[in-house]
Amino acid sequence: MKHALFAGAVTLASAALAFGASAETITLGAAVSQSGKYSTNGMHTINGYNMAVELINARGGIKVGGKTYKLAVKYYDDESTPARGAELAERLIKQDGIKFLLGPYSSGLTKAIAPVTEKYGVPMVEANGASRSLFTNGYKYLFAVLSTSEQYLASAVALAAEMAQAEGRDPATLKLAGAFENDPFSQDIRAGVLDDAKKFGMQIVVDDKLPKNLSDMTPTMTKVKALKPDLFVVSGHSKGAATATRQMAEQNVYVPMVAMTHCDSADIIGKFGKAAEGILCAAQWAPSLTYRDDLFGSAADFAKAFKEKYGYAPPYQAAESAAAVEVFANAFERAGSLDQAKVRDALAATDMQTFYGNIKFDKTGKNIAKPMVLFQVQDGQLKVVAPTKWAEAKVVYPRKRN
Amino acid sequence: MAKTSPMQWIAALAFLAVAIAAPFFMPNNMSQLVDLMVFILIALSWDMLGGQMGYNSFGNILFFGIGMYLVASTQVWMGGYELAEYNSAKGGNLESFTVTAPIFVQSLIIGLLAAAILNFVIGLIVGSQLLQTRGHYFAVGTLGLGVAAGEFAGTMDFLGGGSGMNFIQPPDGVNLTQLLYFLGLGVVAIFFVFLTWLHRTRFGFVMNAIRDNEDKAEAMGLPTGRVKTFAWAIAAAFAAIAGGLYGAGKNFIDPTEVAFSLPTVGVWMLLMPLMGGKGTLWGPILGAVMFQLFKEFFWTYLFGWQRVALGLLIVIIVVFFPNGLMGGLKAISSRLSGKSGKGEAA
Repeated sequence: MKHALFAGAVTLASAALAFGASAETITLGAAVSQSGKYSTNGMHTINGYNMAVELINARGGIKVGGKTYKLAVKYYDDESTPARGAELAERLIKQDGIKFLLGPYSSGLTKAIAPVTEKYGVPMVEANGASRSLFTNGYKYLFAVLSTSEQYLASAVALAAEMAQAEGRDPATLKLAGAFENDPFSQDIRAGVLDDAKKFGMQIVVDDKLPKNLSDMTPTMTKVKALKPDLFVVSGHSKGAATATRQMAEQNVYVPMVAMTHCDSADIIGKFGKAAEGILCAAQWAPSLTYRDDLFGSAADFAKAFKEKYGYAPPYQAAESAAAVEVFANAFERAGSLDQAKVRDALAATDMQTFYGNIKFDKTGKNIAKPMVLFQVQDGQLKVVAPTKWAEAKVVYPRKRN
Repeated sequence: MAKTSPMQWIAALAFLAVAIAAPFFMPNNMSQLVDLMVFILIALSWDMLGGQMGYNSFGNILFFGIGMYLVASTQVWMGGYELAEYNSAKGGNLESFTVTAPIFVQSLIIGLLAAAILNFVIGLIVGSQLLQTRGHYFAVGTLGLGVAAGEFAGTMDFLGGGSGMNFIQPPDGVNLTQLLYFLGLGVVAIFFVFLTWLHRTRFGFVMNAIRDNEDKAEAMGLPTGRVKTFAWAIAAAFAAIAGGLYGAGKNFIDPTEVAFSLPTVGVWMLLMPLMGGKGTLWGPILGAVMFQLFKEFFWTYLFGWQRVALGLLIVIIVVFFPNGLMGGLKAISSRLSGKSGKGEAA
């Protein structure tokens, strides 16, 4: 009989898990990695969300249909695993009664959560899931403020072709080496890079799939060293960027052009100094861009305020997360209601400029109004080199040998 | 195993009654309840070898993951779609891959059956080789299985590779979590009755004999090799069903983080029998309930420290109740009634 009692206790105890939200506050829910391999980027994400929420509240909150609301975010830690993410989305919606969700960090987690929000008709504005595959499922409640993954390194491939032409070389003679983590985001980057390389007729000499959480890519380095490609592309979140930068220097691998994702969030300049010199970095945003909005001011103002508050320069993950909150606030006000369907429609009609960039969603929910930027590490600084409209410096090619 | 006392049947029926009623009392906790059924299944399945036979396997996650992929694939096939096409729909349109409600339910059930049968066979094949090792060698040998399978699945493009695979979206009119929960409960009931029966057969006695002294059992002419292999195959079949249910509930398969996830489910499946009392019929069930309950509780009330709290709890249980909760309960009850608790171990 003890067992029956125990099972009864399960019922009662779990029922006590639910609790509600207060009346004057709109509580957004978010399952973000606070532990596990995405914890660093998860922290950037949370800081970005908090920064926007606190500023909006300090300015008096948001007006929805004549009533003023404060914003709050209920966070859960998804432990960087998709299974947990999906579970938490369900928990936020069903148990905590959350009606609006902010995105998690990474494409994989977003992929796990999106079917849940879709099922319950809960609008989700996400800032850190860039995989193309998120926007081909016909999701109606998913909105992404960032550029999708195939755009990350396309500009680097185009740049390599341009540099070759300037030297009087046919881009088709270029050799490309690529190393991509085996996860939804990086595999998408790979698809984009290979498509672009094919367009120029480049030869792909290395095409490696790397294990998750990668801390060693010696086999790739050995191949790159032997095959001497003209362009080396790496995508493996922060850890991949750090590992590639470190091992290229350690193993004395020289490639005239190296392009990566996540080098700013990996802080390759701070960690590896000279070894990072000349590396190209794809980024969603840079503080030197000329966008602005009423809440934060310019991109540079955001960077300054963020640094004062958190003690480090904001990587783009933080900026886009802050922008996601702004988009929600804007949609609430335009919808004039907290009805989920109305907010969804308002989100779909978003057309605004934020400090992070222009935001306008196509019918699949991805932002089509904002281009990617390409940084290059020059003298220990990240300088925007493409697109030309915002270029702070000319690209250094080939990169210097150390 | 001693005869099943009426007490135990009453407990089982009470458990069943609570389990059937649970979804109506806590409709908002359905996904946790589905997880609980999955956990009970894998705990019981792990305990067949780890508890009853003394073979500690770290590799049962292999069957769990294969089962998950199989159920997802069966649903795609029976929906009339090409698997490779479905998974390459990263650039296509998953929205167009729809199935009707009857097909969805049928394909789920057939997928679970197929997963059970296929993993039974895989269990026979893998087991016939691996079970020739013992003790630490067996444990370490099985450790590699799940890791290898995860990496392997990550290279299979027709399964979505490292980008993972989504389950087909349930059509309108299908309450997925409720469906999964009752399927899970049904399988748990079948498994429980089956195990109760099994432990009264010669097969069950041989399993325990292997745990107590394999050399002696062999010297007595017992078919130890055959029993070990079949026991593992049966465990594999149920682990596969658990995997299928879990994946369908999560809706998304990542090769290394959902399907063949050694650090989470792969470890939990042996923690639960340890907590509840391994080598007993109720221990793994109790362990799974306790584990899920504490996991969610710590999670809600000790946010940020949930893993630490869970870890501490496990240490406390292992130190103070080396035979799990069941062992602790038995010791207490036998002290109270003044009897020795021996002879009840199985």
